[in-house]
This record gives sequence, structure tokens and C-alpha cells, in this order.
Amino acid sequence: MKRNEVENCLLCNSPIDVPVTWKTLLTNEFPRTICLECEEKFEICKTSNEEVTSLYKYNEQMKDYLHRYKFMHDLLLAKVFRYQLHYHLKKTKELIVPIPMHAEKRKERTFAHVDELLNEAVIPYTHLLEKMTTATQASKSREERLNTPQIFQLEQGVIVQQKDILLVDDIYTTGTTINHAKQLLLDAGAKSVKAFTLIRG
Amino acid sequence: MKFKLIRSNKRFLYKGIIVEPQVRDFFTGRIWTRSNTPFHQEKVNAYIQQNYFNVKSGITSQPKGIFLRQSFTCNRCYNQIQHEFVQYNCAKCEKICVYCRHCINMGRVTSCTNLILWNGPLPLKYQKHVLDWDGTYTPAQKQAAQELTESMNNKRSHLVHAVCGAGKTEILFPAVLHALNKGLRVCIATPRTDVVLELFPRFQKVFPNTNIHALYGNAPKQAGFSQLVLSTTHQLFRFENAFDVELVDEADAFPYTIDLALQQAVLKAKKEGAPIAFVTATPSTQILNTVKKENWSYSFIPKRYHNHPLPVPRFEALWSYEKGITRGKIPLKLIEWTEKRLSNREPFLIFFPTIQLMQKAIPLFQRMNEKILSVHAEDEHRKEKVIKLRNEEIPGLLTTTILERGITINNVQVAVVGAESKIFTSSALIQISGRVGRNVQFPEGDIVFFHHGITAEMDEARNEILRLNKEGFGS
Repeated sequence: MKRNEVENCLLCNSPIDVPVTWKTLLTNEFPRTICLECEEKFEICKTSNEEVTSLYKYNEQMKDYLHRYKFMHDLLLAKVFRYQLHYHLKKTKELIVPIPMHAEKRKERTFAHVDELLNEAVIPYTHLLEKMTTATQASKSREERLNTPQIFQLEQGVIVQQKDILLVDDIYTTGTTINHAKQLLLDAGAKSVKAFTLIRG
Repeated sequence: MKFKLIRSNKRFLYKGIIVEPQVRDFFTGRIWTRSNTPFHQEKVNAYIQQNYFNVKSGITSQPKGIFLRQSFTCNRCYNQIQHEFVQYNCAKCEKICVYCRHCINMGRVTSCTNLILWNGPLPLKYQKHVLDWDGTYTPAQKQAAQELTESMNNKRSHLVHAVCGAGKTEILFPAVLHALNKGLRVCIATPRTDVVLELFPRFQKVFPNTNIHALYGNAPKQAGFSQLVLSTTHQLFRFENAFDVELVDEADAFPYTIDLALQQAVLKAKKEGAPIAFVTATPSTQILNTVKKENWSYSFIPKRYHNHPLPVPRFEALWSYEKGITRGKIPLKLIEWTEKRLSNREPFLIFFPTIQLMQKAIPLFQRMNEKILSVHAEDEHRKEKVIKLRNEEIPGLLTTTILERGITINNVQVAVVGAESKIFTSSALIQISGRVGRNVQFPEGDIVFFHHGITAEMDEARNEILRLNKEGFGS
């Protein structure tokens, strides 16, 4: 991995001054991509239950980050959380399954945001699901979200029986997305389904 | 009796589409991403099919250097810094595409987006512009205004070097009026949003018959074709080959001086051979060199409009101010200075080198007077706070360098804390000193540089002010 891959903070563009230590020279850890001030503005999420683990809270800084990454399509920002994601997911024994995007939606955005986060964190994953609707959760009210019918289906020919599965998504708000996917996988015979999200809204 | 056939321009014969004035007015001179216009996509596509637009790719690449490495150029912002281009697997094209991070705030431009340039008929120009201004010029202003108008008329570039408070904006009026009445399109660009916001109402007032657009980040939509555009230099990324006359106000402000792409943007927004004029109080050596090399004409006003000398900054040592403020103690000299301002009921500005230091200092100042506020670049209520200070609702403001230029407050007194910091360059310090004594009734005022060691930049700023005073008053 290149040492000077990122010279300026990806979020505020001020130079990153990291002293070179023996640790940075000898270990293969990810180089910094954002400055300390920007990193401090992200709030770590402490409340987590057995089923769903989240890393960060949804605050102003996170809102800005998501806007720039998902809606302004600044793909390079996938690197921002690679260290944290790698650290939390590298030892999982479950099968990592990202929440998929509808093919049309993916073309529109030109990338699948959850997949890219995992790619940058060097975490292997498998796709088991397919999304059927192009409607986004963000465009619906809470009531509508809770009452939507199943939005996923299994990809053809996949077998989930007796498997432990970890679903990965970017944000957990009402839990509808995760619950739909979980229900589907459990019905298909999965042994256990847990979820991991970057943000908790 | 014979009928004479009226031949219209061949290019614009009826092609199954009638050009809507809204579309024409909006796109003239603009370069826009195809998929992100304020009009319906199908409508835009129909126009493109009829050749009303030139379409080009968002990013072009060329092999460069001895190893023939791909070198990218963004066609919107003309950025060529290679590490700001990001290659990625595009799900739409199913191959590797590139996007430019430099202008991503205006919507992403990738190698697979199309940029469109208007190629159709031009809007009709309104030619009865009126200048409604009853102020008077000082002889120096009058001369500079005449020289500027003449240069613009002869398509010659020009530099107006006038001290802070010389009345630079008024100098522009005759040149702008002359150009507008010749049917030319004029742009007044500046690196700062604050300056656009300050200039816009003033220009609306003096050009009552002209449709003026003010362009800055998140500006509201403005209808019609504007022959006079006030814009931040960033927004000029969205123009190409558009203006017949371009005036750049405060051409030495950050980030214009260090961002090559911004300078390119200013040049690409004007038509080829169109004149450009820089108006500034502190021309950088780079600008002065271009003036010399390209033989521009040059006007110089060393005096303020009210014919009083510029206030000269004094230096005061404020040792270890940073330590003191971090510990929760304002240095004594600064307290005395502030209390004197409070007891004299004079509005004051205190400049800080960093936001962090200012935020540590604000609660300490509020202990002296709880109405003291602070303002920085990301502050939403920045405009309101400055207005409050102007209306004497609050006694003073703590600020970062964002208020260094373009603001006028009667009888304001200024202190710079940490004048030795890197961010206070000589031009910034000259601009800050220029805030003081701008009004005829209060031509003098206090400007102090509190420092932790005098730097060359501070000396340079002081010497330049002394030199200007000498030139203006010959003593």
C-alpha cells in the first residue's frame, strides 16, 4: 500500500501531518485519509444490541459525509472508514453479505456504495440478495417504511442453509431494510443472521 | 411586383423546434453537465439532437511526458493536478472512468458525462442602460475611471491599484455602463462570496434598468438573460467563452492567488481577445509581473477618497498570548485595549489566526461584555452578525481572516492578535489595516498588531502603508 496515497484530508483538504514512526514503517496498516479534527467530529455510537452493531452516530459531520459520498458521488471517500471497518470485520466468522442495490439504481449512481466501503477495507464478501424495487427508503415516511412489503429476493441458485450470516449496510434508521433481508434469509433456512452498519440514525 | 425572399441565417432555420427564450437565456455562455440542467431531460436531448448545443466529454486524457502517462484535464474547471483525478469502476459504462475532485461541489464531472455548450441563436440585448448615481469623484478617481473605460474600449487589459477605501467600486461604474451600452456582456468576478453579496445591491441600485445576476454557491435561481453578471471566481467554472469584458475585484484574495484552476477559469470565461481588468489594493508580484510583461495599462490611486492618510499600524508585543488564552486568561494589554473600546463606545474587530484560538477566547471576552460575538467562515449567521456590528447592536466582533476585506463599518477600531502567524501575509495585514478610518467623519482609528515577535511580513505591510502615504501626500 502506498504511504503517501492521500496527502490532504479528504474532507477538509488541510494537509495531514502524521509523524513517521517504526509502527508505520513496519506494519501494513492503512495510512490516514482524514485529519484529526475531522475525525473527532464523528461521534462513536456506544449503544448496540446483540443483533445490530453500529460504529457511528448520525450527526452533522456524518450527514455531510454521506451527502458527499452517496449523493455527490465522491467515490474516493469510501477510503475514510476503511481502517475502522477492517478492524471490526476482519475476524468475523460469519458470511458477510452487503445489502444490494437495484441494478438500475446502481447504474445511476455508477457504484454500489456498501460494496465500495468493503472493497476499500479489504473485506471479502458475497452477494446473496437482489433488490426488487427502485424506491429508496429515504423518500418514505416512517409509517410507509414499516408497512412496505418484502423488498428483497434471493439470488438464483444460492444456498443459505445452516449458514451464519452478517448483513452489512451503511445506515440503520428504522430497521426495515435489515429486517426484510433478515426475514428472507431466516425463511430460506439460515442458521443465524446478524447485522452490522456504519451509522445508526 | 416582386417579393423579396427574406433569408435568415442558414444555421438557425426552422428545424422542428422553436427555441424557447428561457433555454436560450440560460445556456448562453454557460458550460453545463447534460444530465443536471434546470430543464427537462427530454427537452435538452431534443435541442442537442438539433445541434443547438456543442457536446464535449467531461474529462479528456492525453499521453504526456517521456513515459506517455495518461494526463487528465477537466473540461469544466480546467484542473490538471493529477492527484485530484480519481479512477474508478463505473457501473454505468462497465469500464474504468475518471472523475475530477476539484469541482465536485458543483456536481460530479466524469469522463462519461457530457458537457453542453450553447450553439444556437443569441439573446436579444437590451441597450438602454442607465447609470443612476449622483456621487462625485475625487480627481484621482475620475482619472482612473477614465483610464479604465478607455482601456476597455481599446480591448486592452488594465490594472487599477487603489488603496483600501479609495472608492474602487465607483471607478468601475463608467466602464461597465460604456460596455453595456455597446451591447457587450460584462462580468465582475471576485474570489469572495461576501464581496459579491456586498456589490450586488449597490449595482442593482445604480443600474436600475439592467438585469443583473449574482452568482455564488447556493445562490437563488435568477430568470432571464443578464448582461451584467456578478460572480465568485468559482462560479466561472460554469462559463466558457461568455464575456466581452471581465473585471476581477480583489484579485489578490485567497484562494485565487494559489489556485491555478481558478485563474484559468477566469481566462476561459471571457471571449478570446476580450480585455480583463484587475482591481485591487494589494497587487501580488505575480499580477505586477503580468502587467509588465503583457504591457497592460495601469492606474494608481495612493489616496483615500476623503483625502486623509491611511492609518499606520503600531506593533505591540503580546508575549505567549496563545498559552495565556488556552489557560483561560487574556493578556493584560489586550484587556486594556478592549476595555478602552468598550468605555469609548467604539465598535471593534479583533482578528485571530485560527478558529480554535478564537473559540477559546470568546467566553473570556464575553465575561467583559456578554454581547461580544465571534464569526468565522462556516458561521451561518455571518451576514447578520456583521450587520449587528454596523448597527451598533453589539460592541465588537472576534473574527478570522474572512472579514479582512470588503466590509465597511463606521469608526471601527481593529486589533490583530498573533500578527506573526503565517496566515497574516503582508497583503492580508494591509487589507485589515484598510478597515480603519474609511468614513469621512472618522478618518482615523486605532490599528494594533499584537505579536509574539515581529515578522518580515509585518514590517513589509507597515512599510507599504508608509510608502503609500508618502506618495499620496508627498511628505
